[in-house]
Amino acid sequence: MKKFTRLSMLLALSVALNIIEASLPLFNDYIPGLKLGLANIVTLFIIYKFDLKDAFYVGILRVFLVGILRTGLFSTTFFFSLSGVLLSIICMYLSKNVFKLSIIGVSIVGSIAHSTGQVITSIILLQMTSMVYYLPWLLLFSIPTGILVGIICKQLVKFYDEVLLFE
Amino acid sequence: MNKNDIKLIFIVLLIVILLFSLSLLRKEANVANVYYENDLILKIDLNINNTYEVEGYNGKVVIEVLNNKIRVVEENSPYHLCSKQGFIDKSGESIICLPNKIIIELPNNELDTEVS
Repeated sequence: MKKFTRLSMLLALSVALNIIEASLPLFNDYIPGLKLGLANIVTLFIIYKFDLKDAFYVGILRVFLVGILRTGLFSTTFFFSLSGVLLSIICMYLSKNVFKLSIIGVSIVGSIAHSTGQVITSIILLQMTSMVYYLPWLLLFSIPTGILVGIICKQLVKFYDEVLLFE
Repeated sequence: MNKNDIKLIFIVLLIVILLFSLSLLRKEANVANVYYENDLILKIDLNINNTYEVEGYNGKVVIEVLNNKIRVVEENSPYHLCSKQGFIDKSGESIICLPNKIIIELPNNELDTEVS
């Protein structure tokens, strides 16, 4: 029950972060679609402190909620986010448990997988092969944004562990 | 950060450089195809400087050709992404205006030399 409450709060947090992020355009005039990936903090945190199944639940529910609130359910953007989230969860889990990356590395992998997933979906859904040429920009920026998200998540995990000690 | 993280960053940078060099190899296009909802509605010769108007889903879309480059000048959409994108000139590139259901595509040169 405690876990359930915590996961619901994390879900609410990830939706809020996603909406805050949408109002923070980052070089959007030059590279449309580029963002910090703040919502990934929550996904990453769940992979570290809960398990893979919970990460999938929260990730998929987040995409649905953001779809209802902001982008429209089952729109093109909705499928972009859904594929991005699913691929990033799978890749982050593998990089954590198989390739033994640190939390910052896992975060970079998540960021890369998210943009790659979206590019693949746009190629399939919109038949836009030219999106491939857009990929290097996204990959380049996923390194700094991934590091930022990783550092934030590292502090969050530390803080969470300290709080749990006093419970 | 551990050793594997550094390796990861290196691999990613390598892929980025590889992809960038691939996109440098592309040739400049000489025609542009304009699609509305996947139907070809206009073929534009990039060697002639001109402006064109097409009907999009949200009203008219103004396309400009200048010095073998093409861009969207004016359109009606929430974020104006396609007019912010600016000029494109390499084959394989495209300007996509989802709210207007308009796609401007620069096809590969090989196909067009056969036609003309």
